[in-house]
Amino acid sequence: MAAAIEATARGCEVTVLDESARPGGQIYRQADPRLQGTEFAEPTELARKKRLLGRFDEIVHAIDYRANAIAYAAFGNGEIHVQVGDGTEVLRPDAVVLATGVRERAIPFPGWTLPGVMFAGGAQAILKAQRTCPGRIAVVAGCGPLPIVVASQLTRAGTKVAALASLRSPLSILGSPGGLWHGRDIIREGVGYGRSLLQAGVARLTGYVPVRALGTGHLEAVQLARIDEHGQVVPGTVREIACDLLAVNYGFIANSELAAMAGARIRHDPDGGFWLPETDENGRTSLPWLFAAGDTAGLRGALVAESEGTIVGAAAATAVDTAVATAAPTVAASDALTEAIAVRSRYSRFARVVRQTLSVPVALWRTATDDTVICRCENVLLSEVRAALESGHHSLNAIKRNERPGMGWCGGRMCLHSVAVLAELHAGVAPGKMMTPRPMARPVTFAALARQKRAAAE
Amino acid sequence: MSAVTTDVLVIGAGFYGLSSAWSMTRLRSGARIMVVDHGEFASGASGRNGAGFRMQWGLDLNILLCKESTAFFENAAELLDYPRGIELKQDGYLVLAHSQKALDKLNASIAIQHRYQVPSELLDADACVEMVPSLGRNRLVGGTYCARDGSASPFRLLDALLVASRREGVDVRYGTRVERIDQRDGVFIATIRDATIEAERVLLCTDWAVPQLLEPLGVELPVTSLPKEAIVTVPCTPRVKPILISLEHKISVNQLARGSIVFVPTRAREGSTVESTSDFLGWAAPKVVDLLPGVADVPVLRTWGCVSSITPDMQPILGETPIEKLYVAVSSFRGFMTCPAVGRMLADLVVNGVSDDPVLAQLTPSRFKAGNTIIEPLLNQE
Repeated sequence: MAAAIEATARGCEVTVLDESARPGGQIYRQADPRLQGTEFAEPTELARKKRLLGRFDEIVHAIDYRANAIAYAAFGNGEIHVQVGDGTEVLRPDAVVLATGVRERAIPFPGWTLPGVMFAGGAQAILKAQRTCPGRIAVVAGCGPLPIVVASQLTRAGTKVAALASLRSPLSILGSPGGLWHGRDIIREGVGYGRSLLQAGVARLTGYVPVRALGTGHLEAVQLARIDEHGQVVPGTVREIACDLLAVNYGFIANSELAAMAGARIRHDPDGGFWLPETDENGRTSLPWLFAAGDTAGLRGALVAESEGTIVGAAAATAVDTAVATAAPTVAASDALTEAIAVRSRYSRFARVVRQTLSVPVALWRTATDDTVICRCENVLLSEVRAALESGHHSLNAIKRNERPGMGWCGGRMCLHSVAVLAELHAGVAPGKMMTPRPMARPVTFAALARQKRAAAE
Repeated sequence: MSAVTTDVLVIGAGFYGLSSAWSMTRLRSGARIMVVDHGEFASGASGRNGAGFRMQWGLDLNILLCKESTAFFENAAELLDYPRGIELKQDGYLVLAHSQKALDKLNASIAIQHRYQVPSELLDADACVEMVPSLGRNRLVGGTYCARDGSASPFRLLDALLVASRREGVDVRYGTRVERIDQRDGVFIATIRDATIEAERVLLCTDWAVPQLLEPLGVELPVTSLPKEAIVTVPCTPRVKPILISLEHKISVNQLARGSIVFVPTRAREGSTVESTSDFLGWAAPKVVDLLPGVADVPVLRTWGCVSSITPDMQPILGETPIEKLYVAVSSFRGFMTCPAVGRMLADLVVNGVSDDPVLAQLTPSRFKAGNTIIEPLLNQE
């Protein structure tokens, strides 16, 4: 939204492709306007949401905003392929900003595929979009700030949160007071969420992780425990808690598939979003027409994303104006840009502190047992991944060709980072190249592909 | 520079390379066999094909190659001691004609197939649609069907050949690119970055890329490449029981046991890239919907690229080059379905130095100099 606002202000014709039905993405997700009810976020966060959505609303009639539009492929020639309704369209813009955000990082453990186990962000999306609770009694677990926020919001929405298990204490961030100072307003929101948890009497378990989800057909209980560096449960620490919702978040993985598909150079950053497009300070990738803003280019959080959207929007607008194919042109200054650069700089320091809380030890992947599903789409078990590794298939492509993780519906978005970690754990091979990115980023029917509109060639 | 020696060096660990190497071990000649491949497991054309096999051809030699290979596929798990199996699926193969001319070709071919006891039959358009209700009737005039044709997993077959070869002592090395081949004192020297492999005999199984290693040796082979792209859908209800090819649409269709449907359309292109092209799906989707309106609602999951070898007569090239003890194997886009037979024949030729196989005699590299052309009528290729 921020990039579109800035590029519009600079006189560009802007098209926004939004996979969702309404603008806002995950952080500022909007419910259906017909739905009544309150939101569960802190008032300051809701004020930020209102402000950005309001600014976007002012330009939305001047731009080509497409809801429910799925960008399913990007190519090195600058084409973006998108599904809208029952057809498809090929766009050929002068510059493209990818603001595709992140998905949550799954770490498989026995029982994690039981209905009732979901990502913390997924549970939050249900709260935001449907204003309804995804469970009656919840356990929330993981690392970083999201489990705290979600546990608190679930409490406010009427779910009983039986326990909040954190990999490390939230107080661990106090080790970086300098960075914290820059995010003091966000810390204040965190304190607000913490207060809700205290008032609701939510049990806090520090150093505990889910090691097994139990239930027949649906989640009935979860075992939380401390694990050692080998992934073994520390004796005497197992706590079994009855619940019908387990909301887990272990950090995030950037949605970088379109950048990789287009041929942008990709780097590897295990806790910072895994495979990320290389970008300069203006968000420009190795392809002169392709930009990445916000978490797509590495975990930064919502506040950095908003200011960075402005910065990248300005750079993309400049790329359109100058049509310079190689060198990075100078972006004309503006008040909005100056402010955005200052805001990004301030919150980036805070984001670095938060990032530290998202790192996870590889031992967590050792909680999976041989019969734990690693790839949900193709139902590939840990024993099968290990068998492939043992017969010498070490690269992601080779493991995929043998056991099919990553060949299913989601294209490996859910499992490939795990396969890479497992290759490191069980065969001692460093996670190599990202699996060859291919169309489609999302499935599209033959009928829609056959009804394809192509932008007129220039 | 380190040097290793072997008796037979096979370059290329695809179907032809691994099948030949494994077949060599069956001859119990005691020869040391090494297979090198520049990529990783199944990274070349062998891991990128449509996975179908058929005995429905119009040329004796193709029928013979595929008949022998089909019998192998039916017993592969046992022959290769690979309990997991190769995901064999024999739900038949339907070759479709959308013009009288194509139907005439099918009619002529079926007579030859029956000479070799291939259980194929001629169907009219109604019978085709009855067999595959998702088929469209646009221009459809009929087809031929053989129930013993089918598909298997290329990955499983390749892994089975790899495991069986290694078990028999074949030294298979991936990530090993042969940069050039020299010959000194009757020994071949293959250069690999900072190492060499010395071999008495060399079998080149790099398919469309064989000219790269042959040309510096002064050997010219008329082999070019055709890049293709394939489509796989999300798993869906059973809609296409037999494998289909349409001679006119130039598409093959294979619904796998897990429900996803693989389409391999062919269009005229040049080069040797496996990259996805931006206009492919927009070009292919209308053809798919015309051929099979009943799959229009199925979502496409992914596409991938592959490269086929093309020869002047669209037939494989198998045999000894003008350089003694240097052999080539070029599949001409049917390496998967012919590899058991081709591997057996080549193993015989390479290890024993001679072969009296009549099929091999028709596919020698020297046939182009002699001006012999053999035409296969049942191709769905450009």
